[in-house]
Amino acid sequence: MGLLFGACFGGLLGAANLHEYDTIHAMLRLDEFDVYGLMASAIVVAAGLLWWLERRPTSTVFDGTLTLQRSRPKRHHIVGGGLFGIGWAIAGTCPAPALVMVSSGALYGLIVILGIFIGIYLGDRNNISSSFGDGEHHSSSEEFISL
Amino acid sequence: MFDLLPERLAWFIVGPSLGLLIVTFFLVLNQPLGASGAYVHSLKLIQRKTDVAVWRIWYFFGIFLGGILTTQIFRDSGKIRSGYASMIEVIEGGPTILIVFVGAVVMGYGAKVAGGCTSGHGMCGTSQRSVASMVATGTFMTTAILTTLVIRILSGGDL
Repeated sequence: MGLLFGACFGGLLGAANLHEYDTIHAMLRLDEFDVYGLMASAIVVAAGLLWWLERRPTSTVFDGTLTLQRSRPKRHHIVGGGLFGIGWAIAGTCPAPALVMVSSGALYGLIVILGIFIGIYLGDRNNISSSFGDGEHHSSSEEFISL
Repeated sequence: MFDLLPERLAWFIVGPSLGLLIVTFFLVLNQPLGASGAYVHSLKLIQRKTDVAVWRIWYFFGIFLGGILTTQIFRDSGKIRSGYASMIEVIEGGPTILIVFVGAVVMGYGAKVAGGCTSGHGMCGTSQRSVASMVATGTFMTTAILTTLVIRILSGGDL
């Protein structure tokens, strides 16, 4: 299941050239607005459907009733987000597109992947955010599911 | 290999498709489809920790596989290269490796501290109408654009 969804996700990123340094750099230089349109349209579609699904009791296939997670902003969201943005701008790629970089033959992607692992390791050691936020894993019963 | 895809698929096709993928995944596993979680759980596996969500490891390799499908098989765009040609043109290969590495470490650290990245907070979190994710997304968008402006000034407009 993870492999299938990953392939769809990575495939779409690759199709839109989001793995190219030039695409992300042009976006952040405000030279080109395609990626903003891409992200905004993804959010509008997902937010609309999730809002609609949340209003009725919706069962998920493997993990009971659909529950969305919403937290209040804390300091670590701003500190972490701020640092993430700086790193994103310097490396010109983010975690998922870095993997697609390597699949497309761009070998410096390997350096990015190694760097991200080291960064996560350091962040984990300092243990600034104890739980992973709404962008990441829910702590629910499925944690150990191996699909 | 085959020439099935255009050179770059339009944003108004890819964006809504990603939105649908995120919703479908909520309907299957009730989880946000964030990419930094794939790194976090892969690292846990390497560290032999027990609280590993195994599907996130598969997800990690899935992204790689999907990239191969669209850049190598459906389209012939993937050649062995650095991926940072325009940066190397300005500051050469050695410094580029160092800068890209430092950027990646800062990015990984920030993603771990914030609890998500562009896909996690940026797309899945905001779609759940999480204020924390909206704040994180607004912050990283702002610092990324400002950092790019600084890079542009430092490189004399070359980058």
